[in-house]
Amino acid sequence: MHTDARTLDNGTVLEGDICIVGAGAAGITIALELMNSPVKVLLLEGGGFEYDPKLQDLYRGEIVGQPYYPLQAAALHYFGGTTGHWAGFCSTFDAIDFEKRAWVPHSGWPIRRQDLDPFYARAHQVLGLGPYKWDATDWKNGDADRTPLPVDPGVAWTKMWQFSPTRFGAKYRDAIVNAQNVHLYTNANVCEVEANEGMRKVNAVRIRTFEGKEFRARAKTYVLACHTIQNARLLLASNRQARNGLGNANDLVGRYFMEHLEMPGADMVLAKPESTKTKIYALDFGLRTPRGELALTAAKQREYRILNGTASVDPGNPNDPEFSTFQFFDTTLLAAMRAWDKAGRKGPPPIVAKLGAAAAGPPQAVPRFFHLKTRQEQSPNPNSRVTLSTEKDALGMPRARLDWQLTELDKRSIRTYYEVLGRELGRTGIGRVQIRDWLLNDDRSWPSFLSGGWHHMGTTRMNNDPKQGVVDANCRVHGLSNLFIGGAAVYATAGAVNPTLTLVALALRLSDHLKTKV
Amino acid sequence: MALDRRRFLQITAAGVVATLTTSAPAAGTGVDVKALEEPDLLTMLGAERVREIGIRYRAATPNESTASSLRAALSATGPGTLLFRWSPAESIRSQIQADFAADRTVMLDGWVLSVTEAKQCALFSLTSA
Repeated sequence: MHTDARTLDNGTVLEGDICIVGAGAAGITIALELMNSPVKVLLLEGGGFEYDPKLQDLYRGEIVGQPYYPLQAAALHYFGGTTGHWAGFCSTFDAIDFEKRAWVPHSGWPIRRQDLDPFYARAHQVLGLGPYKWDATDWKNGDADRTPLPVDPGVAWTKMWQFSPTRFGAKYRDAIVNAQNVHLYTNANVCEVEANEGMRKVNAVRIRTFEGKEFRARAKTYVLACHTIQNARLLLASNRQARNGLGNANDLVGRYFMEHLEMPGADMVLAKPESTKTKIYALDFGLRTPRGELALTAAKQREYRILNGTASVDPGNPNDPEFSTFQFFDTTLLAAMRAWDKAGRKGPPPIVAKLGAAAAGPPQAVPRFFHLKTRQEQSPNPNSRVTLSTEKDALGMPRARLDWQLTELDKRSIRTYYEVLGRELGRTGIGRVQIRDWLLNDDRSWPSFLSGGWHHMGTTRMNNDPKQGVVDANCRVHGLSNLFIGGAAVYATAGAVNPTLTLVALALRLSDHLKTKV
Repeated sequence: MALDRRRFLQITAAGVVATLTTSAPAAGTGVDVKALEEPDLLTMLGAERVREIGIRYRAATPNESTASSLRAALSATGPGTLLFRWSPAESIRSQIQADFAADRTVMLDGWVLSVTEAKQCALFSLTSA
C-alpha cells in the first residue's frame, strides 16, 4: 500500500507493528523481509518517488573541519535512497575489519565476519549480484588474460568487486506498494523521535510535510534506516526530553563519522607489459564485469600497523591529470549522470566524455603505465562527528553540521601501503611504483583534493558497551528497548570497500532479529 | 656428434668472453661497464626519468656521487656482490630482486627502488650526458 503523506489530515496517527524510517537500501531491505508476514509495517519515506530539489535541500548541511562535498549532493532523499545514483560497487569486508586491532584506536566490532557470511549470501539476491564468489580466480571468466598479478599471497592479493545493477527505488517500488502488510508513506519527513517518560522506550515519531501538516506514527518497534548523517541528526534533534538527544546518554551519537579515502596515490610501470596480465583490474563502465583491486594481506597490515586499503589499477599516461573522486564527480557531472539515468540511459553516459577529456594522450595498445587510486578506511575517530547546526531546514529541523576529521594513521597507512606494494612489485619483477608527492611530506597535512567516496559511516556505531557504542550487536540503541538502527551508521570501522553490500547484509541480519521480536 | 660436458663448458666460456670483450670492463673491477651503467629501468621509465632519479640519488648520497665511486659500489663485495661475474646484467637483476626482498630500498622522486638500481641510475646520470 502507498499513501502520499501530504494527503493525510493534520494530526493523523498512523499505527503499525514496526515503523521503519527511511526507504533506502536498508529500509527497503527490511520491509521486503517483513513482507507477507502478519507484521504490519509502516515505511516512512521523506521524499517521493522522484528527485525533488526542494526535498533534497533538507539534506543540506554545514561543513566544518576538513573540506567535504556538499551534503545535499552526497546522498539522495527519495524512495530508493542513494542507490538512485550509485555505481553499484560491491565487495565484502575482510575478517580483519571486524577485529580489535591494537594499532587502530576504537576498532573492533561485537560481531565477526563469519557472522555476516550467510547474510552476505542473501544480500547478493537483494542487490542482484552474481554468484557468492569472491576469489579472484573465480572471476577469470574463461579468459586467461583475467589473471591476478603473481604477487606473494603472503604480501598482497587481488580483492574483487562485483557491480550491482539495482536501483532500489525502481526495482522494489511495485513490490513494496503492492504488499498487503507494508504501508509506504512518501513525503513523510520524520523530525523527532519521542520516548516515554523514563526514556526507556520510543512512543512515536513525529512527521511533518511542507504543507504544514504534522502527525505521528506509533508502533511496537522502530527502525531508523535513514542515511548515516540523517540518523544521527534525527537522534540529536530529538532533544526535547533529553538535552543531548535520544540514545545519547554517553555523548556518542554523531561521533566516529567515517569515510573512505579515495584519492590518487601512486603510479605503476610494468617491466614487461606484453606478458603481464592486467585485464582483471579493468573497469568496464556500464558492463559490470567484476574487477579486482590490489590489497595488502592482514598479516602485512599487522606488521606495518596500518589500516585496510586497496588500490584500483587504471591504465593511463604519465601526464594525465589525476582526480580524486570528489574532484572528478563534481556536482555538474553528478547532475548530468542523474539526467542521463532518468532519461533511460540512452547513448554514452556523461562520465565517458569526461574520462575522454581527462586522457592526455591516446590509449596505450599494451598498457605499461597505470594509475593506482587509493580506497582506504579511515581510523575511527571520536572527533570526526555530526552535530546540529544552528540553521534550520524548511521543516524547522536543525540541519546537520559535519566536522570530518582525519588522523596521522590515515595518511601514514596510504603511504606505507604503496611502499610495501612497491617492494613486492619490484621483488617479483612485475614493475615499479612511484608514490605521489602529497604522501611524501608529513603525515598530518592533506591536499586540496582530499576526497571521500560519499560513503558515510559511523555516527551510531556498534559496540556492546554503551560507553563505546550507540547500538548493540543487534543494532538496538542502548537504553531504548524498541529502537533499532539500520544502515552504515552502525559501522564500528569502515573496512576498505564500498559500504552497501555490508549495509544490506546487516539489514537482513536485523530483519531476522526483528522477526523474533515482533 | 654428442657434445661432452667438458667441451660444452669450453665453448660456453669462450662465448661469454667474446661477449664481454665487446664492452670495456670497469677499471679495477673486471665487470662489464655497460651492464652497470644501463639499468633495466631505462626500458620502464625512459632515459630522462632515470637520469633525474640518478641526480637525486647523488644529491642524497654525496659519497657516491662520482662514476668511479658508483662503479666500485655496484661491484663491491658484501651485500652488493655481483653473483655471476660472467653475466653482470643477470647478476644485477638478481641483486635488485634480493634488495627488494630484504627491504634494501630507497625512495627517489617517489619511486620505490632497490639501492642497486638507484646506484645504476646515478651512474647513468653521469655517463649518459
